[in-house]
Parts: sequence; structure tokens; C-alpha cells
Amino acid sequence: MLQAIKPKKSIVWLYLLIPVALFIFSVFVPLLTALYFSFFEWKSGQTIYTAFFNGLTNYKALIADSIFWKSFWNNIYLVIACIVGQIGIAFVLVLFANSKLAVGKAVHRTFGFFPSTISAVCIGLIWSIIFHSKYGLLNWFVVNVLGGTKQTWLGDSAHVMLYVSIPLIWQYIGYYMVILFSAIAGIDQQIFESAEIDGANGFQTAIHITLPMIRSTVLVCLTLCIAGNMKAFDSIWTMTAGGPGYSSYVMALYGYTVSFQQSNLGYGSAISIGIFVLSLAVIGGSQWIVKRATRGLED
Amino acid sequence: MKKLFALVISLALVLVSVSAFAATPVANTDLAYKGTLTLMHFSTSEESEGNGGSDGFRTTIANWQAAHPDITLEQDVLANAEYKTTIATRAAANDLPDVFLLQGMNTISWAQGGLVLDLTDIIAKSPYYADYNTAYFTPFTTEGKIYGYPVLTGGTCTVVIYDKAMWKEAGFDSFPTTWADVEKASEYFEGKGIDTIAFGNGGKWQMNSDFISTLGNRYTGPEWFSSLIAKSGAAFTDEAFVKALTETKRLFTETKIFNDDFNTVTNEDAREYFISGDAAAMIGGNWDEAYIWQTLKDTNEEKFNNMGFAVLPQPADATFAPDSQNIGLGYAIAINPKVAEDADKLAAAIDLAQELTGPAFSSYVAENYALGGLTAAGDVDFSKFDPITVAFYNWSYVDTTTCEIYDSYISSAVWDVFNTDVQSMLNGELTPEQVAENAQAAYVANY
Repeated sequence: MLQAIKPKKSIVWLYLLIPVALFIFSVFVPLLTALYFSFFEWKSGQTIYTAFFNGLTNYKALIADSIFWKSFWNNIYLVIACIVGQIGIAFVLVLFANSKLAVGKAVHRTFGFFPSTISAVCIGLIWSIIFHSKYGLLNWFVVNVLGGTKQTWLGDSAHVMLYVSIPLIWQYIGYYMVILFSAIAGIDQQIFESAEIDGANGFQTAIHITLPMIRSTVLVCLTLCIAGNMKAFDSIWTMTAGGPGYSSYVMALYGYTVSFQQSNLGYGSAISIGIFVLSLAVIGGSQWIVKRATRGLED
Repeated sequence: MKKLFALVISLALVLVSVSAFAATPVANTDLAYKGTLTLMHFSTSEESEGNGGSDGFRTTIANWQAAHPDITLEQDVLANAEYKTTIATRAAANDLPDVFLLQGMNTISWAQGGLVLDLTDIIAKSPYYADYNTAYFTPFTTEGKIYGYPVLTGGTCTVVIYDKAMWKEAGFDSFPTTWADVEKASEYFEGKGIDTIAFGNGGKWQMNSDFISTLGNRYTGPEWFSSLIAKSGAAFTDEAFVKALTETKRLFTETKIFNDDFNTVTNEDAREYFISGDAAAMIGGNWDEAYIWQTLKDTNEEKFNNMGFAVLPQPADATFAPDSQNIGLGYAIAINPKVAEDADKLAAAIDLAQELTGPAFSSYVAENYALGGLTAAGDVDFSKFDPITVAFYNWSYVDTTTCEIYDSYISSAVWDVFNTDVQSMLNGELTPEQVAENAQAAYVANY
């Protein structure tokens, strides 16, 4: 019976042809092209035909480029802030929403997901208005409720990365809530009931039952969170354009600036490859750490 | 009867519109080319509202298209920021449109790369050549060859727009000519909870285009920048230029003159501070003046009538041109060298470029906005303009001396580094000397 409805291999390949071709064209071709041109000098006035091979020059410059490494560490800051902020808060909120006392679970899920449907540029604009030093909501609160003085939030080099992380955290909490909701829904309720009978409190249940049982989903969330924040760009660009100075530069923003504002496409390509390699390393490294750290829990 | 009436009304409307918008019609040159001509620019319909240059540009394009129905003009119109990115990307891909707008700072590298057609002889033969303001060609000239027709209107990049009534209350009948006096005024305005001068450098380019370009000239004089362009000895690290940076840092970080958030807000915010009365003055470009003019005209007649214009005050230790302001045409119409493969098409592209910068354009912007372009429009009849427009015209073209707009020259790779470092400097993270050294390193590496 199963054999009868199973399509021929050729049909399967035919169905896959268009999406696979699109995937290759939109992901692999640009990546390989960037890799190719990262070995070229291709600056303003040079075209794709007059760019010339310069070996490893761009990569040597990249390794010594302090702005690139500052941008990388800003990405790492963003990754850590968003793992804690996005996945951590989402996990806590899901636990609250799943408790017996919570009402309107569907409402929490729906409204929580809303911000992740808004374009990042709009998020950036909304939060620029909130952070605005003269007319912003935050300063209104600080002055009128807390009795403090107005702050130039996005002009504070020391803390600007924290401020640009907040909109990103706010935007994606709901996204991870939806994923975690569905993962927790898959856990047999009898396990929670048994734990309750055994006298486990909410915190113990979360740490010793929920978290180990949705370990794979959390790992997926971590991967998505790291990958998403290693290529962060749009909302930061809208809020600070990387400023003040290079204080809120992230790698993608630096790559964009070098490629399109400085018209240095060869070096910009090297930066893109740098982002790719470092992102893979961070994702791979974090997965290895998480797997090792949670090996005991799985057993 | 109804049809006749409709015809008469239509003709009357056409005559009224023609007399209102186009004093000099587009030349109806006989062109042999019949086909498509691609044009890329940034005069969007939104941009053209209240912006005389953009309005004139779009109107002249429409008139040229109407005069040449056999030519299909395919326009790719993007907002300015997107235009700059897209045109640079298309240049890198060797896929430029037939006719496009060349930014001054790209002239040398694009000319060296063979991306723009040498127009020296063509421009010399232009029927409007005698009326051209040839000084405008400088940013588009390299090694004695001209690569574009300077386009749009010659507007200042650094003007102090102030509220005369507010400054009179502070004890100044006109805007101070020295920074020392502005500092005195700032004590008064601070007491009132008002910013003395609003400025926005959130986009990073504003401090360069709208401030340092003019302030630098006060310290270095024009020869220094000419030498920098020509690579004949001047350097960003020269003492006079470092002094200009030092003074910029002092004014923005050690005095109470500017709004605290100048490094995070944009010029759009700064002009709103001025319009709302939160600031007694603002520093911006002609585009800010156009916006403030339009907004106040519609909403606040009293403040509109109190608008005044001034040059940057002179620093105590500066020695050059105290009445200077940076003005020019930042873009020129350039032609893709591939167009020259078809002589008829090239003739059409040249005709388009000449008309978009010729008397049809300049008379339109002169008569409707009191603005000037590449081609002289003759005497402007000021009787129909409001006094603020006349005052700004006189301030821009008659009463002040001019200096160059830094980022119309050299290279975006240099200015991007410089602009970002200046923002850091004004946030207290770099010294003027470090900014100068980094800019010089970028200059050596990229220019």
C-alpha cells in the first residue's frame, strides 16, 4: 500500500528541483562568490572585470582590523544578552502561562508573538522614539516618575550595546515562547502530576523535568538565537547607525559599511566570509558546550 | 457647445500652467534616436515637495519627455541614501544606466575606471556654455577632463538659521559673528531652558558637511583643501586642520551652545527643535532651510517672519574668510561610456543632460524658488517672493563668500572613516590628533 502511494524517485527530485535550485542560488552562490572576491582588490572605480587578485591581503587586513574585532565582540555581547533575554524570559513566561493559575493562554501566545512579525526597521524606529532624549517615553518616565534627569541613552558609548539589545530581546521573546509552548505541550502531563504529588515546587519542576525534556528544542532555540544575532543589522542601523563612533558596530553593519559606503567590495567580501566562519564557530562551540553541560540531565 | 467650452477651459489651464512653471521651454532639438534611454536619479516625488531643485528636475524631465515622444525615458528613482548605495553597486558591476547622477567624490575613481564618459569637448560645444557657472565643474573635473554637467541647485551646506526675536530678547540684534558671543548668549538661553543652537550628527555625515567643511576653511584657507584634492602636500594632520578639529570639539563638548543629544539625533530632529522653539537657532543645509521655510510658512507666520540667516561665527584663532559658507553642486549628470557606441543615442543623452541643467531648468527654479543652478537664469524678479526667500537668496549667492564642500571631493572611503571618528571624538573617545591621523591613513590608503 505504502509502496503504491510512494512517488518515484524522479518525481521527488522534480518536486525538489525548484526549491533546491533557489536555495543554492540564494545561499551557496553568494557565499562562494563572496569567497572568490574576498581574494580580490575591488574598490571604487573598479568593476567586476577590473578587480584584481590580491591573494590573502584582505584576510591579513581583517585579522589586524580592530574595528572588525570590536564588532565581533559586540555580536557576542548581543548573543549573550539575547540568549538570556529572549530564550530565558520566554522560558519563564511560558512556565507562567502554562501554570494552572494562568488564564488566556492563547492570548499570551498571540500577543507575545506580535512584535516578531514587525519589520526590524520599524522596531528600530519605535525604540528610537522611546529612547529619544527630548521627546522619548523613557526620559518622560525617568523625569516624571522617578524624579531623575534626562539621559542621552543612545549617545552613551559605554552602555549603547545594552540599549540596542533591548528592542531585539523585546521583539523575539514571543517567537521563542511559541516554540517553547509547543515543546512543553509535548511532555506527558502525568510526569508533572507525579512531580507535584512528590512535592516538587515550580522551580524544581522547571529545572529537573521541563528543561531536560525540551533539551533538543532549547538547543534549536539557542542555534536560532545565535545565528540571528551574529547577523544582526537592521534595528541597530536604524537606531544608531553603529554609533556613537564604532560603539554599536556589529559585524554585518561593518561589512555593509565597508562594501557599500566605502565601496570596497573585495574587503567587504572578506568580512562576509569572516562573519560566516565566526558564526559557524560560535554556533558549533555553543552546541558543544550545551551538549556537554546537559549530558547528565539527559541521562 | 459643451465640448467647445471644455476645450477653451483646457487651453486656458495649459496656458496658466505653462506661464506658472516654465519660463524657458525645453529646446525641441531634432533627435534621430528612437528607443529607450535609462535614467537614474534621486528626485523622488516626496523629495520634490518644497525642494526647488528636485521639483525643477522632475518638471524638466517631464517636459523633455513630452518634447521627444519617440524616446522612452526609463527612470529609476530612489531616495538619496538608496541611490548612493545602488549606483555604487551598479558601477562595481559595470552595469550603470545610460544617464545618471555622479557624486563629486566619485569622479576621480570612476573616471580612472572608465565608468563615466569624458564630456570635456561636448560641454564646450553646449549651446548654453556661455551661461554656465564654470566654477561648479570643479568637483567633476580630473586631469583637465570634465565628466558631468553639474545638476540641481547650488545650495549651501552650512547655514545658521535663527529666530531673530529670540536672539533680540537675548540682547543680539543680529546673529553673533564670533563664538565668544554665542557662548555669552548660551548662558541666557540655558536659563530659559532653551538650546542655543540645535545640531544633529546622528547620521555622522552632518558634522562634516554642515560644520567642519566651513569651519575648517576658516583655519586652513582654500589652498589647503585644493592641495589635499590634488595630493600635492596637504595632510589631515596639518596643524591648521587639527586646530579646526580642536575648536569643533571644544564648541560641542565644553560649551553649553549645542543640544546635549547632538551626536544621536539627526538634522531632521534639530530642525524640529528649532521649529518648536526648543532651540533659538539651528545649523544645517539648504534642505533644512527649505523644510523649515515650508513648515513655518504653513503653521507659524510670526516665527516665519522672524527667520534669519547667518554664516558660522568666527573662532577667535581662525584667520581666513569669516563670512564663508560651503556651497556648490554635489552631483553632476554623467553619461555611461557604452552610450557612445550609438551616436544617435549619445546625442539624445547629451541633449537630456543639457536640458536638465540648461535654461529650462534654471529659469524654472529661479522664477519659482529663487534658486540658481549651473546655467545663469538672468535677473530674478523678486517682487513675487516673500522676504524670507529673498533674504536666503541674497545670503546664499550675494552676501557671503564661498568655500568647498569637503565631501564633494576625495573619496567616500576617507570620509566614512573621518565622519565616524569625529563622532567618537565628540563623544570624548578620540583626540583631534587621533582623528586627523586616522583620516590621513585612510586618505593615503584609498585616494
